[in-house]
Amino acid sequence: MDLVVQIMFGVTGLLILGAAFMVVSVRNIIHAALWLIACFFGIAMLYLLLQAEFLAVVQVLLYIGAVAVLVLFAVMLTRQIDDPEEPVLFQRWRSTLLIAAILFSAVLVPTIYNHNWLIFTDPQPAFAGPRELGFAFMNAYLLPFQIAAVLLLAALVGAIIIAMEDQEQRRTRVLTLAEEIALRREQEPSPPTRLANPHPASSMSSNPTPPPTPEQAGEGT
Amino acid sequence: MISAVPLAWVLMLASGLFCIGLFGALSRRHAVSMLMGIELMLNAVNINLVAFWRYTQPDEVDGMIFALFVIVVAAAEAAVGLAMAIAIYRTWQTVNVDSVDSLRG
Amino acid sequence: MYDVVDFLLNTQLGLNSPDWVVMLISHLIVVGMLFVVAPLQVLFLTYYERRAIARMQDRVGPNRVGYEGLLQPIADGVKMFTKEDIVPESADKRVHLLAPIVTAAPVMYMFAVLPWGPNMIAVDLPTGLLFFFAISSISTVGLLMAGWASNNKFALLGAMRAVAQVVSYEIPALLSLLFAVMFAGSMSLMAIVEAQGGLFISTTDVPSVPDLGLGWFVFTPVGFLAFVCFFIAALAEGERTPFDIPEADSEIVAGYMTEYSGMKFALFYLAQYILNFLLCAITATIFFGGWQGPGVAWLVNQSLSADNPAGNPVYNVLAGMLGTFYLLAKTYTFFFVMVALRGAFPRLRIDQLMNFGWKFLIPLTMINILSAALWLAITRWGTAQGFSIIEFAGEPGNLVRWVIAFAVTLVINVAAYWFLARLNVQDHVARQAALAAGWLAVSPPRSA
Repeated sequence: MDLVVQIMFGVTGLLILGAAFMVVSVRNIIHAALWLIACFFGIAMLYLLLQAEFLAVVQVLLYIGAVAVLVLFAVMLTRQIDDPEEPVLFQRWRSTLLIAAILFSAVLVPTIYNHNWLIFTDPQPAFAGPRELGFAFMNAYLLPFQIAAVLLLAALVGAIIIAMEDQEQRRTRVLTLAEEIALRREQEPSPPTRLANPHPASSMSSNPTPPPTPEQAGEGT
Repeated sequence: MISAVPLAWVLMLASGLFCIGLFGALSRRHAVSMLMGIELMLNAVNINLVAFWRYTQPDEVDGMIFALFVIVVAAAEAAVGLAMAIAIYRTWQTVNVDSVDSLRG
Repeated sequence: MYDVVDFLLNTQLGLNSPDWVVMLISHLIVVGMLFVVAPLQVLFLTYYERRAIARMQDRVGPNRVGYEGLLQPIADGVKMFTKEDIVPESADKRVHLLAPIVTAAPVMYMFAVLPWGPNMIAVDLPTGLLFFFAISSISTVGLLMAGWASNNKFALLGAMRAVAQVVSYEIPALLSLLFAVMFAGSMSLMAIVEAQGGLFISTTDVPSVPDLGLGWFVFTPVGFLAFVCFFIAALAEGERTPFDIPEADSEIVAGYMTEYSGMKFALFYLAQYILNFLLCAITATIFFGGWQGPGVAWLVNQSLSADNPAGNPVYNVLAGMLGTFYLLAKTYTFFFVMVALRGAFPRLRIDQLMNFGWKFLIPLTMINILSAALWLAITRWGTAQGFSIIEFAGEPGNLVRWVIAFAVTLVINVAAYWFLARLNVQDHVARQAALAAGWLAVSPPRSA
């Protein structure tokens, strides 16, 4: 039975680390976002192994259902024609890789190994389900709960305001002909040669009439 | 799980994930890629918290509550960060963070 | 299921099987039934929808294949299997392949937490309701993948609109279900269904009511308003008319499904129908009692269970069959309502849809949560919780308390609905009246 749990932990760990490595190394950013979703799923599996079921469900709901969708939206809305990463993706990657490797191997791993962790050895721990979490949120952690709610409201309003486009630049209805002409006149200094056909009777003939002068066309509107 | 997998393995998994996220956040030039690295780091911290809760104090809910607050803050920060990336794209037509290097005005 | 299998193997046949064998066999039977039942349901539902919508449109519908067209879904299946699978050349091949899988797989997971009968649920998760909606939110990623991988601007735009719609209506859907968690005291769907026994009044509120399985949550003002809000939000989540912008042929070709053909399109279609079936089933479970109905409680009392070893296992099977019959009858009724709405309504524009979701449904569901809290306070609190004013009505579990709670929540819900409807009005005459009365701030009229 222990071996089964160890194998499952190994598979989950492989999924998490493999997906995370693909996130930081693939060139196509949409593929990176999809690998990020795989990593989040692996982390939810790990929470299930650690018997934190509520947190696993919240991880899937919030990270995959909301944060990953937001990341995909941002990637799709900021697409560029040319790949921005070409020359500078890995400009400083060697030094960054060195820093990350040193951090992992020389700082974190020895600290973890050389410490004596106080493990709780009761075979049946209390189950931190929604009921216990609810009690804690309403009694001991009430103030952080309310502050988190205010933080989310501030983030919601802030994100909307930052990403909102300028309202007065947006047209809400079709322009009239006068407005269209005024707009084109201020956009291009020289008006186009043919604005309106001043001879509707001969409009069907194949003989093109000479182009009207701008004053004639301007008076005709 | 407690008897089969020692705490050190889970902590090493979390620290490996943290280092990969650190590498991603520091070496990528696309603003959204940097945010993905930051999300990986926050998830590594969450794994740490949940592992400590499960192995050392599973009869209290403090560890789980800490992890929930980390998720909440990470989601809020991702929303605002991605909104800023979109706003930067609208002004500069690029999301390469090396190119947005001058203050306006 | 465990008890029946245990009885069969250990008592009847005399085998002394260990505990894990009984559990394995019972789980395999449940999973097998789910895997057989779910696609068959969906096949029948496609045929049923086509016939029903045809009758609403004054035509007959498919009636050629087999007797009265009953084999039509099989013909549809054969067509989908044999169509050529066309992938655009500049599309991202792997993401194009994965998108229907990511959209269709999570909806099959949702069958695991649906209660089909008394003690008949695949996995009784303590966080069942949250699991249900968390898994359904994974499909939105599949929609985005489909829209992007097609390398088609219409598909991308359609995918973004579809995801915006689904994500915006997940919020009122979840908020309107919170009252059930508060009433039942647990997020487990089995506990929510079991809290709905009684006779138009739930036995958890007034325990002296005879248990005829009719104490559904929809018979309370809180539950009724939540039912209306949830059903509308479920229509939007399942992309049914009047919210079917993502798949409307006249709007955006076929939205995110434009570049898909053959089996991949069949997977999207299947995912949509399964999701709609499951949303109808959840409506039946939470608001209309699920498997609760007249007779099920009596059958359960006589059946074999852990605390009634003298029971007769035949009653187990009968109780399960009756419970499943009630659940399916309610689910098909709601599916018929969905089909009828499809035949009757035009579709909403995307901005009308978003306005309705964010500005009307979300405030309404939040006020519904306030009403639910008041209901709980009036029917269950007393001096111990500092609510001693309610003690004049008697002790908790009294009918008078139930009547007071009913009246108070009815007033609050109706007032909230009326106020929010006036606030979101679009009609010109009503707009002028609202401006004159001061309900609306002066703002320039929007173009149609």
